[in-house]
Amino acid sequence: MQSLSATSAAGVLLDLSGVLILLLSFACLGSKLFNRYVAYYGAQSVVLSFAAGVAAYAFHSVELWILAVATLAIKGIGIPVSARRLLVQRLALKRDAALSTGLSTSLIAGGALTAFAYLVTRPQLLPHGLVAAAVVPLSTAVILLGGLAMVVRRHTVAQLIGWLIVENGVFLGAITLVATFPFIVEAGIFLDLVAGVLIMLVFVSGLTRRLASASAGELRELHG
Amino acid sequence: MILLMILTVAGPLAGTAAAACGARARPAGWTASAGALVSLACSVWLLAAELHRAPLRGWGGYLYLDSLSCFFLLTVAAVTLLASLGSVAYLSAEQDAGRLSAFQVRLYYVFFGLFAALMLAALETGNLGLLFVLIEASTLASAALVGLEARASSLEAAWKYVIISSFGVTIALAGTLFLYYSASGLHLAADYRLAWPYLFSHAHALAPQSLRLAFLLAVVGYGTKVGLAPMHTWLPDAHAEAPSPASAMLSAALLNTGMYAIIRFLAIAHARLGNGFPRAVLLTFGFGSIVIGVLFMIRRGNFKRLFAYSSVEHMGIIAVALGFGGLLGLYGALLQTLNHAIAKAVLFLTSGDVSLRYRTREAAGVTGLLAAVPVTGGALLLGSFAVLGSPPFGVFLSELTIVRAGFAASSPVFALLLLALLAVAFVAFARTTAGMVTGRPPDESGSGSQGALALAPYRGRAVGLAAVVPLGVGLVALLVLGLWIPAGLDTVIRHCVAVIS
Repeated sequence: MQSLSATSAAGVLLDLSGVLILLLSFACLGSKLFNRYVAYYGAQSVVLSFAAGVAAYAFHSVELWILAVATLAIKGIGIPVSARRLLVQRLALKRDAALSTGLSTSLIAGGALTAFAYLVTRPQLLPHGLVAAAVVPLSTAVILLGGLAMVVRRHTVAQLIGWLIVENGVFLGAITLVATFPFIVEAGIFLDLVAGVLIMLVFVSGLTRRLASASAGELRELHG
Repeated sequence: MILLMILTVAGPLAGTAAAACGARARPAGWTASAGALVSLACSVWLLAAELHRAPLRGWGGYLYLDSLSCFFLLTVAAVTLLASLGSVAYLSAEQDAGRLSAFQVRLYYVFFGLFAALMLAALETGNLGLLFVLIEASTLASAALVGLEARASSLEAAWKYVIISSFGVTIALAGTLFLYYSASGLHLAADYRLAWPYLFSHAHALAPQSLRLAFLLAVVGYGTKVGLAPMHTWLPDAHAEAPSPASAMLSAALLNTGMYAIIRFLAIAHARLGNGFPRAVLLTFGFGSIVIGVLFMIRRGNFKRLFAYSSVEHMGIIAVALGFGGLLGLYGALLQTLNHAIAKAVLFLTSGDVSLRYRTREAAGVTGLLAAVPVTGGALLLGSFAVLGSPPFGVFLSELTIVRAGFAASSPVFALLLLALLAVAFVAFARTTAGMVTGRPPDESGSGSQGALALAPYRGRAVGLAAVVPLGVGLVALLVLGLWIPAGLDTVIRHCVAVIS
């Protein structure tokens, strides 16, 4: 499989989607409303499926087309819609008050992590002149930002979204770096994702019914 | 042979099927045990056959079985059998006492079987991408077990477990991605670029920079599942809150499956990058885990947490042994894996028995076990000594091998440090368990519970036997492994070492 060069039309489009995906992770990190988290995640997944479509077009790969459609249907529509129905609306969640740092602090930390991502992935690792050299640092940054969101947000719903953003980051890296994993593996990853979200939805609603706000800040019974 | 492999994986699903069809606690439990027995028998057969044959491959590299996978299959299948028998006793007792509903019991067996089957399947695949998929799926199945009792604290533990482990394993996926990328110079078909045997035999052609990153990410990612510090934070909570037989499965089977994934990455990294980098990574995480595990064992509290921290410590020891490397180090690591799995399964099953009888999981609330319940008390005492590495039990032998490997491999500082930490661990652990075993049983007329001790938790002889038999079998196995390593096992472990070096 040959890689895309950075200056081809597909390369530019992939690069652009990578930047958009990073910006949407920042948007998620900078907002305080639960339905915004979900909306930004949905938008990010739509952009991701567009990127997968671009790669599919460039490589003429049927598997990538299937993947693009699955991303759109599951991550772009299915998960955001069900998360909104089952969590945000039914549990009447509005404002996330369970931040462990201020918004500006977490945004600055996010900026630092992005710089760090460029620092570690730039130099020797990636071939020059290929689109992967531009996008892999972006996807590393998305992974780190998702992790940051999981750390600074202590509400369980926000942590769930943080994990999904991490997953999107890995996926973005995968489509630019290696086009795709073998199809069976990719299908398995999707199945795991869906099963994981389902089981987490069960836990979140169970916790919310037992605790006042299902914030991990209240999860204090177990320590040491 | 492929049929045998499928049968090994499908064995534990018998319990799942029975429970899904609406069987009650006892029949579902016995079905699960029978399934686990089938699974164990098949894995022994596979192992015996494996000694005289080249590794088994099929389905485009997705199916792959060599001595190493057989060895881990045997470990996991044995633990599954012990834990299934323990489940029969624990779950029927909990249901009889009205603490679990019939629905929860069915849910338990459904996910217990799935969990075991997914781990066994993970050991039978040669494709590192599929390995990720199956390990992540086993996380999800076991999270349901952790949260089963649906108290606020168990839901909290389950949440912590599922979110931290999923995040960790996603990091391992990124590692797998970089490994895949490092193989892009190889011109293999896409399916084979993640197939372990091909990657291993072409290791010299992998791109070293991205392989280095891949190994680090894999150790951090799968290390989260193994419970290496500082990614271990989910482990004590999940082990303490899960029903005891499920804790046994987590500690003795799941952690080993994670370690198996690390060993696969280690073999490739070792072949390409040499000794230095993998050793530095593994020794760092390994010693970190031992120190953290030992420090938290000093605190006296919930005895299931104590056992969980002991698992963190032992996983650290195995990582250190892998870091030492060489024949001695790898041999010790594999032997330690088997010994620790059996010892920890025995201890967690005992802890289930204790918590059923005393209705507490706090060590301070348990005294005089030996006088009140000699069998359980004896098992706890012997199991503690076994897990702490006193002779004549198996762990002593494997830890001795690891220390010797340390002296052989690098400067003696590491080996001496390991010895010192083991000594502290002994004191910290034995302090708590000795207090539980000795002394006088709590006053039976006191506290108004009309003699909770006298009230045997198990109804029926068969259920009582199911509680005791796994403890006896496990302890005998540990004793045998301490006195004498069967020639067959020795050959198997040597084969495993040959596979990965």
